[in-house]
Amino acid sequence: MGRVSQIQVAGFCYPPVPLMAPAQSVVVKGLSKVYQVHERGAGLTASLRSLFHRRYRAVQAVQDLSFSIAPGERVGFLGPNGAGKTTTLKVLSGLLHPTEGEVLVSGFVPQRRQVEFLKQITLVMGQKQQLLWDLPPVETFALNRAIYDIEERTFKQTLDELTTLLDIGTIAQKPTRQLSLGERMKCELAAALLHRPQVLFLDEPTIGLDVSMQLTVREFIHSYNERHGATVILTSHYMDDVAALCPRVIVIDHGRLRYDGSLPDLVRSVNPHKQIALRTSAPLDRAALERVGAVVALDAARAVLQVPRAALHEAVAHLLGRPEVTDLTVEDPPLEEVMRAFFARPTAEQEAAP
Amino acid sequence: MRYLRLLLTQIRISLALGMQYRWEFLLGGGLTVVWTLISLVPLHIAFSGRPPIEGWTYERALVVVGWFTLLKGVLDGAVNPSLIRVVEQIRQGTLDFTLLKPADAQFLVSTAKFEVWKVVDVTAALAIFTYAFSRLGRAPAVVDVAVALAMLGAATLVLYSLWILVIAAAFWVVRLDNLAYLFNSLFDFARWPVTMFSGIWRVIFTVVIPLALMTTYPALALLGALPPRTGLLSVGGALLFAVVARVVWRRAIAHYTSASS
Amino acid sequence: MNLRSLRRATRVLRAYPTLLRVGFAGVMAYRAEMLVWMLTTTMPLVSLALWTAVSSRAPVGKFGPADFTAYFLAILIVRQLTSSWLVWELNAEIKSGALSQRLLKPMHPLFLFSADNLAAIPIRSLLCLPLALVLLFATGDRIPRDPTTLALVAVALLGAWLLNFLVSALIGALAFVMESSTAIFEVYLAAFSIFAGYLVPIELFPPTLRAVSEALPFRYTLALPAELLTGLLDPARALPQLAVQWAYVLGALVATTLAWRAGIRRFAAFGG
Repeated sequence: MGRVSQIQVAGFCYPPVPLMAPAQSVVVKGLSKVYQVHERGAGLTASLRSLFHRRYRAVQAVQDLSFSIAPGERVGFLGPNGAGKTTTLKVLSGLLHPTEGEVLVSGFVPQRRQVEFLKQITLVMGQKQQLLWDLPPVETFALNRAIYDIEERTFKQTLDELTTLLDIGTIAQKPTRQLSLGERMKCELAAALLHRPQVLFLDEPTIGLDVSMQLTVREFIHSYNERHGATVILTSHYMDDVAALCPRVIVIDHGRLRYDGSLPDLVRSVNPHKQIALRTSAPLDRAALERVGAVVALDAARAVLQVPRAALHEAVAHLLGRPEVTDLTVEDPPLEEVMRAFFARPTAEQEAAP
Repeated sequence: MRYLRLLLTQIRISLALGMQYRWEFLLGGGLTVVWTLISLVPLHIAFSGRPPIEGWTYERALVVVGWFTLLKGVLDGAVNPSLIRVVEQIRQGTLDFTLLKPADAQFLVSTAKFEVWKVVDVTAALAIFTYAFSRLGRAPAVVDVAVALAMLGAATLVLYSLWILVIAAAFWVVRLDNLAYLFNSLFDFARWPVTMFSGIWRVIFTVVIPLALMTTYPALALLGALPPRTGLLSVGGALLFAVVARVVWRRAIAHYTSASS
Repeated sequence: MNLRSLRRATRVLRAYPTLLRVGFAGVMAYRAEMLVWMLTTTMPLVSLALWTAVSSRAPVGKFGPADFTAYFLAILIVRQLTSSWLVWELNAEIKSGALSQRLLKPMHPLFLFSADNLAAIPIRSLLCLPLALVLLFATGDRIPRDPTTLALVAVALLGAWLLNFLVSALIGALAFVMESSTAIFEVYLAAFSIFAGYLVPIELFPPTLRAVSEALPFRYTLALPAELLTGLLDPARALPQLAVQWAYVLGALVATTLAWRAGIRRFAAFGG
């Protein structure tokens, strides 16, 4: 019923055309979500008043969001805390109903929560877990096999694959409460992927993990995406996660879409400069450097310049010609800084307002 | 002085919190009335038109029910809520925050939450006393009231110490939240005079879980029928119990802080 | 549509053994908690001690000490088999948002909860169910032995379990709408302890109160199977009561289903 399939009705079609996979994995049109929040004042009189008279305040979590994601894409949601990333993920997975707008995931309307839909998706939350706390993860795996009605052979195959990839052979036999955060997240991922979902929603999957564990999780998600052609939608506080994993980013700020495209393009548009770091044998003349680009740092043995991308070629050639320069590297400004600069910019709407 | 201020702040916060849960506020009052009336039905069946049991008549047993109602208000209003919260905190590991505070942990833990509208229970208890004594056709003597109040103090102390022991147990065992449920079920029998029980149960309710001290003795005191020796022993026992609970608590904290990583 | 619900039903049935097994493993992990729970369900034994003492001089109504013993043993057995702590669980899960993980599963959460409940029965009744059964049979010929009555007992037990579970699910689901529904459950338990015959046999009630308790649902979650089991209720008189019980089960099923549907919608509107 909820499946929207594009069947081309050809005149003579035999054998019948199979239901085609939807062209888009995720389609979001004009999505808005408004929460009713109960306002509570501090202090006794305020709470006494709230006993008889409650005030609600509408909070616009997401506003007029539109985008679509093709099957097999890896997309990162970026935005400051409370920007609406998690709300969007929850709407896409059917946990929240949209206030306005249309959402289709794998051709289903998520909020109807049809069995066929739920079997296609998975949601992993770094802050909440589905593993049974006092039992080994293998028990959760068995439970999910039963709930998702996975065939024994398929289950074995998938579990073997996940066990090898995530290296959880022995971990999965220990009670969950005895596992470290990283081990728990690996098992959490395994439990979430046993039914081979085609759409993965990952909400801060690497939160609190150390660097090497972050890398493991990242690589695992990447390889799952490549092997199964699954769509991956990810939010993360760690820019590196998004940079390494997602060719495409969607930036949400104050519930609105601010950017949709590749990360390098975003960086270029926010900060059209490149950074040139120099090592020098003798101090360089500041005035001379100013003619090449903006001086960020300068001391006896080191200098950092910012140069417009267009002028980069010329600047490097010029600097390499100087005898004092012993080493030269060209780099992008750090991602975190770029994003901070981006969010500090006024939105188009704010600019329009007087 | 500092602790008194702290206590007042905790009560104020609980009051503010209680006001937010408006459903529970309304239900709390209704619950007390329903519960008090219901608790009289078995008593009625056991006593009305029947011979006294172990010297207890309907009116005298009513006084026990009155103390039960009063103490239940104290238990549900001031003791239980904190306990449930602590057990939850131990499970989530957030008790560490409490232990880091520069004040006595036992004090902080046992004043963490109050259910303010349980004061309704006290009113219900007074109503039952009035009814019972008007049926008896006399008023309690002033001395008896004083002794009864002293017994109430001892009963509260025992109840509180019992809970501290329960919390201490929760440090060792992972999940114990339905200990509260168990105790409540047992405590329900405190509405009956303990001397009505025979054999093993009377021993249990006098020594192991001292329901006798909680309701039967205060009721006897109010009726002017409590042997002085029993009264003195009860107060002494309550104090000793409190000291034991304190010692066990300290050991539990030491165990907790050394075992957790 | 029919084919689909059939498929859904077979899916649940196929999954159920695993749900039970994992539920059982979960119960084993909470042994300490279970011990406390077991002790809680032995409360009818205290009632037993109390009422045998009360009736030792003169019977209460038509109940002598032996009658009270049999009655409260039966109450103990039924309570062990049919009780549920779903209300507390649901309140905690709705408050913490943990329920959202269950909602993402392609199976109604109540199936998962029901399996947990059933899986706990062997452990939580380990302590005193066998003992109570032996004692009850030792009380002599009041236990029905003909297959018809035993079948009626089984039907009444199943109805009692269902009614208890569904009511718990219903009250638990109220936590979708209000901050906490445990206070409501306490009211329910207070009424239950008297009107279900938990503290005193309903036979001993004054006539009006007895009529009230036969109209209310509580009695059908506890006293009905217990009375059948101890021969207090004539099998012929039991049939109309069983009809009332199952009518309540059906009503509770409808109410619970509707409440859950509305609750989940609200959960989705406000966020977990």
